[in-house]
Amino acid sequence: MTSTSSPSRKALSKIACNRLQKELVEWQVSPPAGFKHKVTDNLQRWVVEVVGAPGTLYASETYQLQVDFPEHYPMEAPQVIFLHPAPLHPHIYSNGHICLDILYDSWSPAMTVSSVCISILSMLSSSTVKQRPADNDRYVKNCRNGRSPKETRWWFHDDKV
Amino acid sequence: MAAEEQEVRMEVEAVQAVYGDDCEIIHDFPPHLHVHITPRTADDSSQQFVEAILGILCDAQYPQKPPHVHIVDSKGLDENREKHLITTIENKAKELSSCLMLVALCEEAVELLSDMNHPEGNCPFCLYPLLVEDQSGTFAPFMKLMSCYHCFHSECIIRWWKWLQNEIIDSKQCDSTISTSAGNQREMEQQQQQNCPVCRKLFDAKDIEHILDYAGTNSSQPTDVIVEMDGDERKFLECESENNRRQQFESLLKLQQENSGLIEPRKEIVVVPGMYLPTTVMPTLAAIDAADEQHLDSGSTAPEAVDLNIPSNKATTSKHRDMNTRRKNRNHSSRRQPNVYPNRTQWIKKEAVSSDP
Repeated sequence: MTSTSSPSRKALSKIACNRLQKELVEWQVSPPAGFKHKVTDNLQRWVVEVVGAPGTLYASETYQLQVDFPEHYPMEAPQVIFLHPAPLHPHIYSNGHICLDILYDSWSPAMTVSSVCISILSMLSSSTVKQRPADNDRYVKNCRNGRSPKETRWWFHDDKV
Repeated sequence: MAAEEQEVRMEVEAVQAVYGDDCEIIHDFPPHLHVHITPRTADDSSQQFVEAILGILCDAQYPQKPPHVHIVDSKGLDENREKHLITTIENKAKELSSCLMLVALCEEAVELLSDMNHPEGNCPFCLYPLLVEDQSGTFAPFMKLMSCYHCFHSECIIRWWKWLQNEIIDSKQCDSTISTSAGNQREMEQQQQQNCPVCRKLFDAKDIEHILDYAGTNSSQPTDVIVEMDGDERKFLECESENNRRQQFESLLKLQQENSGLIEPRKEIVVVPGMYLPTTVMPTLAAIDAADEQHLDSGSTAPEAVDLNIPSNKATTSKHRDMNTRRKNRNHSSRRQPNVYPNRTQWIKKEAVSSDP
């Protein structure tokens, strides 16, 4: 099952719109290395293609990130998930949810889609094993109703990967 | 050989004499120094947007071989400007090769930083340039956090600040049942310190309060956001006699306004676009007032614990009367400036769409 829920159906505020348009322009001028924004006319949902960095476990594998923006972005964090199939990684659940503190508690409005993408790629690159999180099955079962990862109470215990 | 060493040692003494406490000697000989370099602003830190601690590491061949120069720490400098600083100093060092050059290199750094002494780049919130000119050729006001020198448009950082205050109030309402006096104190501390959105360095609420006043939002407003009332107070404010009284005051105020017999703060000239808003270390009078008021307000739940750092707790009773009038003023101001409130509620956190049962 792919998670397609979005954190908020509410339209973007004017401030969020301005900021996202600005981010999109920046992205087109200098996209983060290894990422490609798939062009749509939907400013509120970006689909970004990521290619694993050379010399890492995910080298030349391609995955897709889905970024949904809430009404009050960037005060609120965007919801970022991997579309199916999600990479095998100790912090990425099979439903695409990503356990990464900056997407939840540690979000700061000074971050951008671009900086989030770079963090995710760095998380992938530093992995030493291709495996699912230990509690994958339990977690994915709990999310069956299309629950957003932003409603999860995450425990961030590992700063190595 | 010994004479040369003597000369180098004397040069280190000279650097120390020039820079005083700003020069830290890591190692005597061969010299290794950390020098705190600031732009020439006559020691006015509010006019300072950059600074750097330069590490200067010489080896035994100095001054025949130029020292290694690196940045130990810096504020307000991005990667490019740091690189520019280092390469220019290294070039200078090559130029002066075989002369004693430590003081000259430090002076070069002071010159460079004085040239760079302006904020650069975009506001981290809206991503538009900090110094953005509008049609009339003026600049939007911006401010700087004193702890890290990160700069933001005043309007953008205030919007964020209010959003955080609302989030704190939201979470307070959620767990009001478990609020103890100790918990209140912890929350108070949280409200008075925040992390810089860019580098997460802690800064004081006082750093930002002075622009809460500037930004056209009424001075009573920031505290208004924080104020919490207990049930009794609310009941009192909503009772009939209070409502009548308020109506009476409102009609009086209206009368006064109509007869132009009222001197009000002229909000529209508080912030002139392009006006530079210096971040003073001293909180403004209004900020002190606000802090006092906050303490007193929480006094209803923890009267003993909060008075510790208020110097003027001798006049508690008059302060309380004072506070009551201020509260009334706030009611008036909310009526007078309805534009303030939509602004505030605009950022109220929306409940996430809950999952199906």
